[in-house]
Amino acid sequence: MPSERASIVARWSAVLRRVCGMPDYAAFVAHLEEHHPGTRPPSEGEYYSQYVAARYGDAPTRCC
Amino acid sequence: MPMQTLLWILISVVGAGAWGVIALHRGETINAAWLVLAAVGTYLVAYRFYARFLATRVLELDPRRATPAERLGNGRDFVPTSRGVLFGHHFAAIAGAGPLVGPVLAAQFGYLPGLLWIVFGVVLGGAVQDFVILTASLRRDGKSLGQMAKEEIGPTTGLAAMIAILAIMIILLAVLALVVVNALRDSPWGMFTIACTMPIALLMGFWMKVWRPGRTLEATAVGIVLLLLALVAGRYVAQSPVLAPLFTANGTTIAWLIIGYGFVASVLPVWMLLCPRDYLSTFMKIGTILLLAVGILVVHPPLKLPALTRFIDGSGPVFAGKLFPFAFITIACGAISGFHAMVASGTTPKMLRRESDALLIGYGGMLTESFVAVMALCAAAVLDPGVYFAINAPLGALGGSLDAAAETIRTWGFSVTPSQMQALAASVGESTLLARTGGAPSLAVGMAQIFSGAFGAQMTALWYHFAIMFEALFILTTVDTGTRVGRFMFQELGGHAWEPLGRTSWYPSTVFASAAVVAGWGWFLLQGVQDPLGGINTLWPLFGISNQLLAVVALSVGTTVIIRAGKARYAWVTLLPMAWLLVVTLTAGWQKLFSADPRLGFIAHAAATTAQMAAGVMDPARGARLVMNDRIDAVVAAAFMAVVVLVVVSSMRVWVGVHRGRIPARSKETPFVESSYAV
Repeated sequence: MPSERASIVARWSAVLRRVCGMPDYAAFVAHLEEHHPGTRPPSEGEYYSQYVAARYGDAPTRCC
Repeated sequence: MPMQTLLWILISVVGAGAWGVIALHRGETINAAWLVLAAVGTYLVAYRFYARFLATRVLELDPRRATPAERLGNGRDFVPTSRGVLFGHHFAAIAGAGPLVGPVLAAQFGYLPGLLWIVFGVVLGGAVQDFVILTASLRRDGKSLGQMAKEEIGPTTGLAAMIAILAIMIILLAVLALVVVNALRDSPWGMFTIACTMPIALLMGFWMKVWRPGRTLEATAVGIVLLLLALVAGRYVAQSPVLAPLFTANGTTIAWLIIGYGFVASVLPVWMLLCPRDYLSTFMKIGTILLLAVGILVVHPPLKLPALTRFIDGSGPVFAGKLFPFAFITIACGAISGFHAMVASGTTPKMLRRESDALLIGYGGMLTESFVAVMALCAAAVLDPGVYFAINAPLGALGGSLDAAAETIRTWGFSVTPSQMQALAASVGESTLLARTGGAPSLAVGMAQIFSGAFGAQMTALWYHFAIMFEALFILTTVDTGTRVGRFMFQELGGHAWEPLGRTSWYPSTVFASAAVVAGWGWFLLQGVQDPLGGINTLWPLFGISNQLLAVVALSVGTTVIIRAGKARYAWVTLLPMAWLLVVTLTAGWQKLFSADPRLGFIAHAAATTAQMAAGVMDPARGARLVMNDRIDAVVAAAFMAVVVLVVVSSMRVWVGVHRGRIPARSKETPFVESSYAV
């Protein structure tokens, strides 16, 4: 069942991304659809740039 | 129910039994498994009973209260995240080199003081701090420690906390960079592997931003494969007569390279270098720590280090100072680390899905870091004590040659032969391991022993360099992100003095602020590299004092939050660890300033150096520099102490005010909003 395998891969990819603080485009698009219907989502590249800019702002993200 | 009770009785008995075994094994070798059992048993009992008490009685976590992630969710930084995933994320953010290096250095007292402080310090101090600050920030829309200090205590305290944080960052970055310098000095293999991480990160950066936008996992997988290839290739570089000299550098050169790297990483756009390195190091960190846990479980090695060494009297070569207070300064991360309060009031509170998850993330995450510290302690304690001191004592204390070092170590009551050290260095692919201070190399030797015991003995050299690469990788990630954060803080503080300096998008301000921060930690780093006693001696205690003082600030903010929430009868949960740390750090700070022993006190050391110059046995230029270093170190230590006394006194005024009814017992929590998630 290739679709089931694909969803397992997608789920684990999402877990890995979140643990490492990587942007999760699919989750962001889902968030927009749920909370701000009708908004045109940014492209994956635009989203990536915005995310990185927000994450490496002015607060320490890691300890020693 | 009875089944559960039985289980908890069993866990308590096993944990207590393991402590009993440790208590009775004095003067004979003990297996690392007992330390692990005692630690894990204590963590489980503390998590089930004490942490739950904190959650229900003191903080009153309420799963029905909507978290900032739910209320303010924007799909970027405010994202409701499942607790298992967030646990991993938070752990990766708090655990770095600190819990690995501190316990290794403190092993000069033997394994017992470190073990007791790591396990009981975390349960009653570190995990409480992280949990309380995380919850406080969670109820204030994810506000930072500095903002909470300003709102709950007062604006002066907020400013003082911010200056303290910037100063602590500078010392932290210097000492961590020094650990890397000492690990890579005269080591072409290590140097090549770490040098390769720069082009690999650039490749990943362009991959994620330009070629295949947003494909982070794909780029990271490629990065990890290339990194492992670089690790294997390092051996051939080290053996090649042409390439090896290119990658062999002394301490001063490496220090300048790291200073240059920190500056470039702070000025370049983050996507190019900093962000890909961050992903790479997070994966390596989590993977390696899991591997180490498996290794210790499989090998369960005997510990060769004694429970206590003679150096508890303060005569130790790794760092100066007696067991009290310096064991509690040397081990910060792993027992309690003020720096965590920054993470617990930074990214993590914006990602909690449910308020009740704070128990697992805040308290549980810190317990896990403490477990990493116990593993690091075990990895150091599997070494022969003679080998441990040969690697960790500075050249100035050991004597210049292998023979002299072996003789010095014999007078300390341990034995190591020159041929043993040569064989060890050869087995890990290095020319020498003598006086590689900083903890990372001895930890890597210990890890290599454990890994080759668990996964095959043929690859000791590869495992050693794997461990060095893993430590250097995420230390440099702390150096680059830290420099950037320091740059922002400098710009914010500088903006008060001259407005244009505060514009973070103005390029000259960015360059100037980055240069100022890099110059700050670079100065301490170079001082450490040139120090005849190796620098770790001076800088690590200074870092420990500053980190623990930040914990005092965090705990006094926590106490204020608890008291203003009308829970003064429970204020002891943060007040007791705070009082202990205040005593420890002020004692240590006082001794670093005023001890008559020139190995310990900055002022006494300056006087001794001046006397040497007068007697003509010290080069005047070098002596003048050493005296200058001592004076600056003394001023820094005194300033840390002054800031913390200021914060504690102003917090106490708030506590007394609430107690007398002058200040309303009302905290600045965001009003309750019902969560839409099912309980």
